[in-house]
Amino acid sequence: MSGFFERIAGKLKSYREPGYYTKLDHKWTMVIDLDKCNGCEACVVSCYAENNLPVVGKEECEKSRAFSWLRIERYVEGEYPDVKVKFIPVMCQHCMKAPCETGCPVYATYHNQDGLNVQVYNRCVGTFTCATYCTYDVRRFNWFTYKWPKPLEAQLNPDVSVREMGVMEKCTFCIQRIRAAKDKAKDEGKDVQDGDIKPACSQSCPTGAIYFGDLQDPNSVVAKLAKSPRRYRLLEELNADPSVIYLKRVMGDGNSSHE
Amino acid sequence: MKKLILYAVVGGIAFIIGYFVNYQLFSDRAPVQPINFSHKIHAGDNQIQCQYCHIYAERSRVSGVPNVKRCMGCHQIIKTDSPEIQKVASYWDKKEPIPWVKVYNLPDHVYFPHKRHVRAGLDCKNCHGDVATMARIEKVSSLQMGWCLSCHSKKEVKNGSDCWTCHK
Repeated sequence: MSGFFERIAGKLKSYREPGYYTKLDHKWTMVIDLDKCNGCEACVVSCYAENNLPVVGKEECEKSRAFSWLRIERYVEGEYPDVKVKFIPVMCQHCMKAPCETGCPVYATYHNQDGLNVQVYNRCVGTFTCATYCTYDVRRFNWFTYKWPKPLEAQLNPDVSVREMGVMEKCTFCIQRIRAAKDKAKDEGKDVQDGDIKPACSQSCPTGAIYFGDLQDPNSVVAKLAKSPRRYRLLEELNADPSVIYLKRVMGDGNSSHE
Repeated sequence: MKKLILYAVVGGIAFIIGYFVNYQLFSDRAPVQPINFSHKIHAGDNQIQCQYCHIYAERSRVSGVPNVKRCMGCHQIIKTDSPEIQKVASYWDKKEPIPWVKVYNLPDHVYFPHKRHVRAGLDCKNCHGDVATMARIEKVSSLQMGWCLSCHSKKEVKNGSDCWTCHK
């Protein structure tokens, strides 16, 4: 009997070649400087436009079915004359030890060689397990097949598929832009350079608070910012090893606190 | 017994006629096109290169259906008395695109760049078959995911079996 289980365990182990999770091609990382974020939500709007997100309306939002892949969390401190407001943009953290990946019964979410947490829409059967396991509440479920009113369907991004009812989805770090940058780099016969890829949120941020790049490249902007003393990650004590790094906001009184 | 043979014969004839009608007219493999365009004459007999008409194959995701202007570029002079060419000319006069029926149709959730495959040195024949012998264009490959992956694993494409390489 024990031999039987060992055989199964051995098969599970050999499913991934050794070093799959340690030797990545890239490790796409986002660094968000909260000192620069002023909570304007331009990133949210551009994410909606880039990734074909439906606007679900007030009633759906009341049932906590809001559809934003990227949301701005607001924290208000103090009473009226002396108010301090803090903002944190939260999207899929692309955890290296993602809890959502352990739950999926059909293997629709997994980690790929770019260090991205992949969501495969065609595999997804909509069990909602990943959204339940997700620590950051960033996974969104298609409760209906959303329709775009007539002139608006012309603005759908052809590089991103339109999801149907019963499919889980989340931030992809703008995989279509990563793919386009890789395609271009391959034409020029070199590897992707730092700054070639800009996700929609990073591109539209008016203060330039969102940086994107490869953490494995020691000369990238992201790798340099990741060494900052202001660095922290959301709910780091849960040990999910997220790929989104935040830089703490330095408040006016000199106390560096924002968590 | 006589009745049974009659049924078998009638059934057999009906099946054969039905099969050929279905194959010729209604099958997705070789749909009837608005103009009886022959790849055999163009690519086979006259040796025109694929990318003379499908100009985007080497630099874009789609290989591109040639516009009417490209047809008329030659056919203003060549074979202008043929009824099929006069159909092309009527589209040209009306300034309308020819409503070609798409044969190799990939679903929307698949990212397939012709560019990457052509630049990797693949011949058009590998997927589209021997087009130079086809009087009417015919689908020769299934375009199923297993068919894609069989080639990706054989040629050892980097990250060729990763979902996000092709699915968007």
